[in-house]
Order: sequence, then structure tokens, then C-alpha cells
Amino acid sequence: MNPFWSMSTGSVRKRSDTEEKTLSGELRTSPLRASAKKQLPSIPKNAVPITKPASPATSSQSTNGTHASYGPFYLEYSLLAEFTLVVKQKLPGVYVQPSYRSALMWFGVIFIRHGLYQDGVFKFTVYIPDNYPDGDCPRLVFDLPVFHPLVDPVSGELDVKRAFAKWRRNHNHIWQVLMYARRVFYKIDTSSPLNPEAAVLYEKDVQLFKSKVVDSVKLCSSHLFDQPKIEDPYAIIFSPWNPAIHDEAREKMLTQKKKPEDQHCKSMHVSGLSWVKPGSVQPFSKEEKTMPT
Amino acid sequence: MERMSWLSKLTPRAGGQRAPRSASLQPPVTADPETCLMVFKNHWAQVLRILERRGSKPAPDDLSAVRNNTYQMLNLLAEDRPWGDGDKDRSQGDGDMACGPILEFVAAENLLERLLCWHLQGDFTEERKVEQLKLYEMLISQARQPLLRHKPVLTPLLRLLSVCAEPASAPLENSLVLLLNQLCVSVAREPAILELFFHSHTDQGPANLIIFSLLIPFIHHEGARGQQARDALLLIMAMSASNRAVAQSITDNSYFCPVLATGLSALYSSLPRKIEVRGDDWHFLRREDWIGVSSLVLFMNSLEFCNAVIQVAHPLVQKQLVDYVHNGFLVPVMGPALHKTSVEEMIASTAYLDLFLRSVSETALLKTFLRFVLLHRHDNMTILDTLVGRINSNSRLCMVSLSLFRTLLSLNCEDVMLQLVLRYLLPCSHVMLSQKRAVRDLDIYGKTAAKFLSLIPRCCRPESPPLPRERDEEPPSRARGHGSPGADAPPAPKPSTPSRLSFFMRQASVGPAEAAAPRSPGPPAGSPSRPGPRDEVAELDRNYLEYLRDARHSIDRCAWACRVWSAPYDGEDPRAPGPTPDPDSPPGQPPGPPTPRTKKRGLPEEGVREAPGGPLGGDEPSAGGPGPEPRDGGTLVNGAHGAAEPGRPEGDVVVKKVRRSPQGEGEGSRGAPNGAPRAQPPGWEPLPSVDSLLEELLARVPAEPPGAGVSIETFTEELREIEAEMQNGGVGGAPATPAEPPEPPLSHEEEEAFASFAALPEGDAGAGRAPPRPPDPLAQVVASPPRAVGPPPSQPFTGPFVSVLFGKLENMPHNSLYVNFLLTGLVAQLACYPQPLLRSFLLNTNMVFQPSVKSLLQVLGSVKNKIESFAASQEDFPALLFKAKKYLIARGRLDWAEGPGAVPALRRTDSLARSRKPSLGELLLRHANSPTRARHAAQLALQGLRDGGLHPLAPPARHGEALRVRNAVYCAVIFSEFLKELAAIAQAHAVTSPFLTE
Repeated sequence: MNPFWSMSTGSVRKRSDTEEKTLSGELRTSPLRASAKKQLPSIPKNAVPITKPASPATSSQSTNGTHASYGPFYLEYSLLAEFTLVVKQKLPGVYVQPSYRSALMWFGVIFIRHGLYQDGVFKFTVYIPDNYPDGDCPRLVFDLPVFHPLVDPVSGELDVKRAFAKWRRNHNHIWQVLMYARRVFYKIDTSSPLNPEAAVLYEKDVQLFKSKVVDSVKLCSSHLFDQPKIEDPYAIIFSPWNPAIHDEAREKMLTQKKKPEDQHCKSMHVSGLSWVKPGSVQPFSKEEKTMPT
Repeated sequence: MERMSWLSKLTPRAGGQRAPRSASLQPPVTADPETCLMVFKNHWAQVLRILERRGSKPAPDDLSAVRNNTYQMLNLLAEDRPWGDGDKDRSQGDGDMACGPILEFVAAENLLERLLCWHLQGDFTEERKVEQLKLYEMLISQARQPLLRHKPVLTPLLRLLSVCAEPASAPLENSLVLLLNQLCVSVAREPAILELFFHSHTDQGPANLIIFSLLIPFIHHEGARGQQARDALLLIMAMSASNRAVAQSITDNSYFCPVLATGLSALYSSLPRKIEVRGDDWHFLRREDWIGVSSLVLFMNSLEFCNAVIQVAHPLVQKQLVDYVHNGFLVPVMGPALHKTSVEEMIASTAYLDLFLRSVSETALLKTFLRFVLLHRHDNMTILDTLVGRINSNSRLCMVSLSLFRTLLSLNCEDVMLQLVLRYLLPCSHVMLSQKRAVRDLDIYGKTAAKFLSLIPRCCRPESPPLPRERDEEPPSRARGHGSPGADAPPAPKPSTPSRLSFFMRQASVGPAEAAAPRSPGPPAGSPSRPGPRDEVAELDRNYLEYLRDARHSIDRCAWACRVWSAPYDGEDPRAPGPTPDPDSPPGQPPGPPTPRTKKRGLPEEGVREAPGGPLGGDEPSAGGPGPEPRDGGTLVNGAHGAAEPGRPEGDVVVKKVRRSPQGEGEGSRGAPNGAPRAQPPGWEPLPSVDSLLEELLARVPAEPPGAGVSIETFTEELREIEAEMQNGGVGGAPATPAEPPEPPLSHEEEEAFASFAALPEGDAGAGRAPPRPPDPLAQVVASPPRAVGPPPSQPFTGPFVSVLFGKLENMPHNSLYVNFLLTGLVAQLACYPQPLLRSFLLNTNMVFQPSVKSLLQVLGSVKNKIESFAASQEDFPALLFKAKKYLIARGRLDWAEGPGAVPALRRTDSLARSRKPSLGELLLRHANSPTRARHAAQLALQGLRDGGLHPLAPPARHGEALRVRNAVYCAVIFSEFLKELAAIAQAHAVTSPFLTE
């Protein structure tokens, strides 16, 4: 169903020259989720790491002299950290959700609120290479091929690579890919397009381009309520407004927004202490509250 | 901890104590009011006859007659109620001062007053006083109408009370306190009466709340009397909250606060000076410990009372009490107690202070305690510094001190953290200047975790005898031998990372699918095959997920608690204070917008900072490996350790040092530092001027070898002076380091932001931001002048707390098991704080510190080496390690059985605490009862563990040597677990929810 799924049958793990620091993690995990016990990447002295068939996507890596082999712990935590960064960014109109099955696959949807693609609602999936962060840049594939110079008219894949020719750990983050995905709809780039037709039209006949875009937006909207392309408990699903379900959820969201403090307070009763005046570094520098009479 | 809740206890006790009696009395007097009045008058007539008989002395018959009649009368009065007033709405008629017929009569005749006068004229013996008090108490508690608002009742009552003001026998006091308690309950029901108490003149003087002043002497009494008195007082305190006049009267006209506070001093002085415990793991007072020690119970009662008063009283009272606690107890008593010279007394007082801090729940009171600890100087040294120094001392004192700091850290108090650690980190002088902005970086790829885990000593890695979790006595070799089939099983057909993101991001309640997949790494019940070698690894490491979960929980808690702090402590806010001027922002140099980095920027400081410590700090700790293991006792100052280490020849000069990780791994050779784009350390070259400055500074260094006889505080002082001087003189024209936002904020400047990361393929010079240059370790070669003396005190100093902890950590192989439990727990606690300054100092392994600053990683590296060399020297190390693990696991198992939901983490300090069963109270009182759990633990471990004597690892002979071996072996276990814990914490920091801190 998902080509990337079968690709990620393992991670390329390089034998590190110094065994000592080889936290040779394995991406192999029990197929039974119930027994999904997390293993710390082992640190075998003599054990030969199980080498697994390298996935085509990753075999080109390992040229840059990295010694690192990232155990699933690091990978998952890195991805979780990436997700946390996305949350921090608060990208307008962009929502993502890691899939249930793999942290390497994120479902997303993007709402375009202005410009040529106004009212566009585009679902997409982000595929993160399993040798992240040392692999290629993540791939972003729209569920439906949006009419856009940088979107492959057949596969729906966005040309992410042009912005992230080389994925650099520490420097590049997934939120940037998402930001880029949003940006392409506001600022059209036609150079070396994946969809030459769109590029040419944009250059030569903007009106026709516009009408094609409108069609594309409409098409996407008409398929909004379709079943998700990839079956997953955490796939993003749209459904028509159903007051029985959505009213309550909406209410909940709105009230939550009003008092996020309370929400947290319920779960955590701890409160720290501080008598430091803001800007000061002296303990007990805060002035006493004036006494009520 | 046992927090105090006073009011909840109070309510049931206050009212309705006499309900049964009043019920039984009711029938005879339920006659109609007319009849009652007649009967009452009849009694009064009889009494009056006696009262009016002018005689020298009333006959005994007279007395009993009056007594009987009065009793009847007062019962009638108690049952009296206003005309036409039903039971239900007796409070309704309050406004019109309606009163029942008997009360009217009483008022008209001024009956009670005359009665009392008669008593006073004669020989008013104690028994008669008690009688009167009881009568009034009955009257007040059972009255069906408000009596106290009527002067004819109130005045004689107050007069009676004033007569009883003198100290007296126990029965009288009991009655008195009971009556006073009853009065307070009445007043609490009807606060208006309070005014009347003020306006009534008594022998005690006007405006003096006599009830109150009578109660004060009983504040600290034990038993029911004291409790009733405190309850009563607390009612008044609660009333004072809304009545400033009462509050003022309490503070201005009563000795309440001073008595309460100084009473603590008196009670403290009777506490045991020495805490005798046999268990060698005892380190703090739990409730079970002190509940059996009466003097401690007394003290705790009074402390709880203080806490309760502060909880309910008017701010005026609150403030006065808090001040008195500080000046009347903490400073004059607690201060000297903590500075007693005998170790036993130090242990006791430290444990007491810890107990007090854990028990106090009211912020105002806690603040006083903390202010005392942080700021009060005893013998020119703050209590805090004294306590920090104690960590360095012998085992037991070290342990109670560590416990105390655990308590302090658990408060998540900014002021505490500021004084302990943060103020030393604020100037950022411990990091290379160019690294300053990296303070905020998060390690999102788990590099730090990998580093920590890589420090697990070889000898502790899973090939060594496995952890005997499921089987008991199986020899390690055999256990390892079989079952290998599982190891090389073909990889699962459908691999992926099972997404546990959901686990971390959502609570367990989310979906059925979630619940269906238990994430608990608990023992695999009925796992089919014997674990092979690789699975044993997993078994050993299985608890890593638990560490991760714990770490996440701790960090979340801590981050959430710290949101009340005044500043984020991220290297930018707050700025370092004036006295130690921030070298990075000389006046006149405005912090500008981010500028393209240049290699030259900040060079002067770096030179200055680097050069002094160069020869030492850059050292790999104990690089030699199997050399003699130094005891490190003298390590006081961070960075000073190296010099104190024996085994390094004096005058060993290290001219060039590459700063690198303790393992010498080339970690730094690849990959940029974590997190946001930022400057890379440029190549450093010391400037000549720096050297000369250094020489000059060195000339000032005191002659004695540092780290030897120098106490922390003098050392610190000198250090600060010289540091300040150096900064003023040496680095005048340093350019400012403008803060660069870690990531471009997303806004309308999205374009710009985009340009910053979406670098065009190669050679993107115009992109605004240069790609990070991988730090070349060789570029960081530091050339420093050869020096043969110890470290100059002008090194950046990360504070006494950190250096003591690090010193103690470095000494781990020699510490006792329990010290290591506590110590590692404390460091882990410290590592959970989310403040970037602290986090980066402890956990960012990419951070380039000033060479003189020892990093946690270095310290741990040195411990690793020590353990490895010990293991190499000890033939039977694997067997010993196996035993040690077995013992600890058995002990831990005991703990799980005990506490539901307890985490069976091997290293947990709280489980250590829990496993210590015989309470201190028992031990103090020499109750030789019952088999203790500790003994069970010992049996479980198949070892004779009694009184800390025979440990599983202790061979019968050569005790000193045995102890050394034992400590080292336990250390190996604890250390490995500690590294996992730290790794987990490092990982969890990267995924802290942004909502927690926003």
C-alpha cells in the first residue's frame, strides 16, 4: 500500500570503529505490538550486529563518515523532538500527526487561506527516511496531485529536495519542510518544475493557470471526505459537520483555550516557588505584597 | 510528605461535644417556659437566702446548697429560649436581642454577678473554681440562645476567667482550657461577640483579649489540653483574618507570636542531640521515625500549629509570627545547632532541619526557613554554604546533608536554585564565549544520551553475568550459555519504529488501540524461551524505558513548577548581576541584531578564560586508567580536582591539550553542535596580553597549594575578587555577543526565515547564514603557559554545590552504597531542571566549556575509568557484580511489594528509603519488636544483613579491604544505572511539551 513502508525494512547500521561507543540499535522490533518492549540498544562487545538489507533510499548514505548508528530510542526521540519543534512553530494552517504505526510517517493537512490557492485544503503525508537525521530530506506527498509547478502531477510528491538539497542534521528540521510546503502555495516557483505544464501556464497564461488551480482546489475539496489514503488509526479524517460529535469537541477546544492553566493544574499539582524580582538575581528580592486591611 | 491540615481536624472536635448529655438533660425541663421560670425563681430564692446571710464563713451546707441550686438554675438557663422562638429559627431573633424569660430575669437580678461575688468573697478554692468553670462551660455549650452578648452573663464570666489567670493545678487548667475552647467556638459562630470581649474591662486590662491571653500559656502543652488550646487559638486566628482589630490586638497586645515562636526554641532544645540508629542506610527522618519520640512529636505539633496559624491568620499576625520564627527560633537556635562541633549533633540538626522543611507547607513560613538557610550568616558563613560543605564529610553526615538538599531541590524554588547553582552559571563564564548562544540548544538526536550510555563501564556491560531476574541461583556462565537461538532470529518481517510517539504525546486514555498495546516494559510474563545473550542485554536494559518515563515525568513536573519563576535562565535573561560584570556585554555596546559571525569575535575573553585553566581542566580525568585511585577528598573547587590528584607528578606540564570527551572519542569531529544554527568555536589563539595578565594574576595567588587547606568560602572569596579584577582589567574592549534567536520565528518574515534554513545547494554564501562548520577538535588546541603550580583561583567557578557534588561523584567508587544512591539521585534531580543554563551545563555534551571547568561528563568518565581499573584488578569482579545486583534487586523487590505502583528501578532512592523498615522511633525507644523488613530483605538476598554488618559482599576477614571492594562493586552497579537515568533525562529534555513552559 505504501511503498515507503516496505522500504524501511531496516536501517543501515555501520559498524563503528570503536565498539565501545557503538550503541548498535536495531530497528527490528517485534511485530507484536503487545510485546513491544523497548530495548536499549545493546552494547555488545563481541556480538556482530545483525546487518539487514539496506533500503535503497538509505544505501547512498553513510558516505559522509558518520560513525553514528542511531538506535530506535534516539530515532523515536529525535522524531518526537521534531514533532515538539513543529508544535512550537505554530505554523498557520498546517497540522500534522505522526502515524500510529511508525514515527517515520506523519499525516498532515494544510489549509491555504490566501492567494491563488485560497480555500485549498490539501492532505499530505510526510515520509521521513529511517536513517534520519543523516539521510535525505523527508518526502512530502500530497494525497491528490495538486496542480502546482513543484508537485508531481502523477505521484503528488512535492519537490522538497530543491529547498533541502542536502539534509543537514541540527540545521534542518521537519517543521521547515512543512513551512516550505505552505510557502510554495504563496510564492510560486517555476524553475525546473515537476509539473512543466503548470510552470509554463504560470509563465505564459496566468488566467488559465488560475482556473486550473481553482479546479484543482475544488477537486481536492470534493475528495475531502474520502477515506484516508493510508489506513491508520491516526490518519487524518474529514467528515461533514455532525453536531452530535463536533459541537461537543468544539466546545471543549474553546474552553480549553480559555483556561489552559486549569487543564494542567488538574494533572499536576506542583508549583514551584519564587521570591525573585523579575530582572533581579538576588534571592528574596521581590517586594512583599501590600497588606490587605 | 506529611503536610499539615489542621482545620479539617478541628471542625469535628469543636462543636457538639456535649450533645449526648444535653439530650439526656432535656426531658425534665421541657416544661413550658412559665413553669421553668417559676422553678428557676424558686432556686434563686433559696440561693439568695444564703447569699444574703452576712456571715464570716459560709457553712459547708450552704456551699452545697448553692452548688445544687446553681446547677439547676444554669441548666434551666441553658434550656431557656426567647419567647415564641422555635427550635428551628433561634438564630433569627438575633437582631432584636430577644431573650428568654429566664435570661431576662437573670439580667434583671444581675444574678450571675452576685453569685460570683459571693464566691469570691469567701475562700474561692481551686475546686470551687473548677466547679464554676465547668458550670459556665456547660452553660455556654448548651445554651439555646446566644448568651455571651448579654453583659450580665459575659461580665461575670470574664471576671471568673481573670481569677483563673494564675498558673494552677492540672484539673483547673483542664477546665479552663475547655471553657476557653468553648468560648472560642461560640465566638467563631458569632464573630460579633468578639467586639464585646474587647470592650469589657477586666482585671487584665482593656482591649485585651482575655480568652486569648489565657490560652497562650498552653500553646506548647502536650496532650489533649494543648491540643484544645491550639484548636481554640486557631479559631481566633481564623477570625483575625477578617478582623483587623483582632489581628492588631494579637500582634500589639499579646505575646502570642513570640510565645509560639520562641516556644519552638524551647522545644527544640529538648530534642535528642544524637540520633541513634543502627541501620547504616538511615538518612532522613520519616514520620514513622519521629512519631515515637515524644519530644519530637511535641516540637512537630507546635511547628504544625505555626504552619496552621500562618495559614489562617491575618497577614499582620502572619508576618509577626514569621518574623519571630526567624529571629526567635531559626537564628538563635537553629543556626548554632547546625554549627555544633560534634558530628552527631550536626547529623541530628541537619536531619531536623530537613524534617522541618518537608513539613512546612505554608509558603510564608517556608520562605522564612529558606531565607534563613540561604541568607543567614552564622560565623560569617551562610547556612547554605555550611550545609554544602557537609556533603563532603563522612558518610552519615553526608547522607543527611544530601537528603536535605534533595528536599531543597524538590521545592523547585528559584531562590534556592539561584543561590546554589544558577548564579554561578549566569555570567556564562564557564562556557566558551562563542558557545554562549548554544546554551539554549536542545540535543534532539540523543547524542548526549549516547554519550552517557557509552560511559557504562565495560565490566558492567551485559556480557558480564546477567541480572538474575527470573532465575535465582543459576550460575552466570550457564545462563549465558543456552538459549542463543533467540538471539539471531531473523528480523521481524515488518520493521519500523513502533510509534510510541502516541504514548508520549497523549495520555493513556486516548484510544482503545492504545490500551490494547501495553507499553509497560515489565517482566515479560511467560516469555517462551530462555533469554539468549542478546536478550539478556535487553533484560538488563529493559528498565531504560522506565527511566525514560520517569525522566519525562520529572522534567514535566519540574518545568511546570518552574513556570512561576521570574526568568527562564537561558543565558540571556536574567543578565548576570553587577558585581560580577558580564564580560560579554560591556557598557556602551548595545546588543545588536544577529550579525554574521566572524572568527575573530570574542577572542580576547576566550584567551583569558582559557589560558589560566588550560593545563588542568582540559585534562582527561584519570586518563591513566589502572593507576592508584585517589580519594579525592580535597576536591573543593570545580576544576581544582586535577591538581589534588596524586599519581600525577608534580610539575607535570601539559602544554597543549585537546579538549575532548573523556573517552577521547572523536564525537566532535563530525556533525555540528545540536540544535539551532549557531556559531562554531573558531580556532583559538591566546593573545600575548592574556599571558602577561595571567602571570600577573598568578603572582597574587596565595602561596598554599590550592585545594589543600583552603576552605570553600575563603577560596570563593579570593576567586571572586580576582575574577572581577581580571574582567575589569583584562577584557575591556570585548565586543558584545549579540543574542541570536535560536530559530527564526515564524511570522510575516517567513521569507527571511525560510531563506535561513532552506539553503540552496552548496556554496550558499548569500543565504544570510553560513552553514555550521563542524568543530574541529584540533582547532581547539589551547596553548597555555607552562605552569607547575596548582590551578589558579581565577578559573570560572561553577559554585561550591556543583563542585562538591562533582567531587563526591568522582569519588563514587569509594562512597558507600547509600551515599551513592542519594548522590546520584540528587544529581539526577538537578539534571531535571529545564533552565537552559543548568541543562546545558550538565547535559550538553557538545558544549565547549572553559578548560578549567570540569563537566559532568568528564567526572563520569573518570569514574568509569576507576571502575574499569578496579574491575581489572579484581579477579572475581564479575561474580561480585552479580552478587551485588542480586542483592540490590532483592532489596528492590521488597520495595515494590510494599508500595503499589512503585517503580522498580534499581537505583531509586525512595525505594531505598522505603526498604529501611525499622523506624527510628522504635530504635530510639529500643523497642525490640518484630522481625523487620530489613531482615527479610537480607534473607531474600540469602545474606546475613544485620545492622549494616555483614553485607553480601563482605568476606569475613580483612574488613577494611572488604569494605573497599564492596563499595566499588556496588558503585559499578549504581553508576551504570545512573548513566541510564542521565541519558533518559537528556533525551526527555528534548521532548518537553512546549505547553508546559508557555
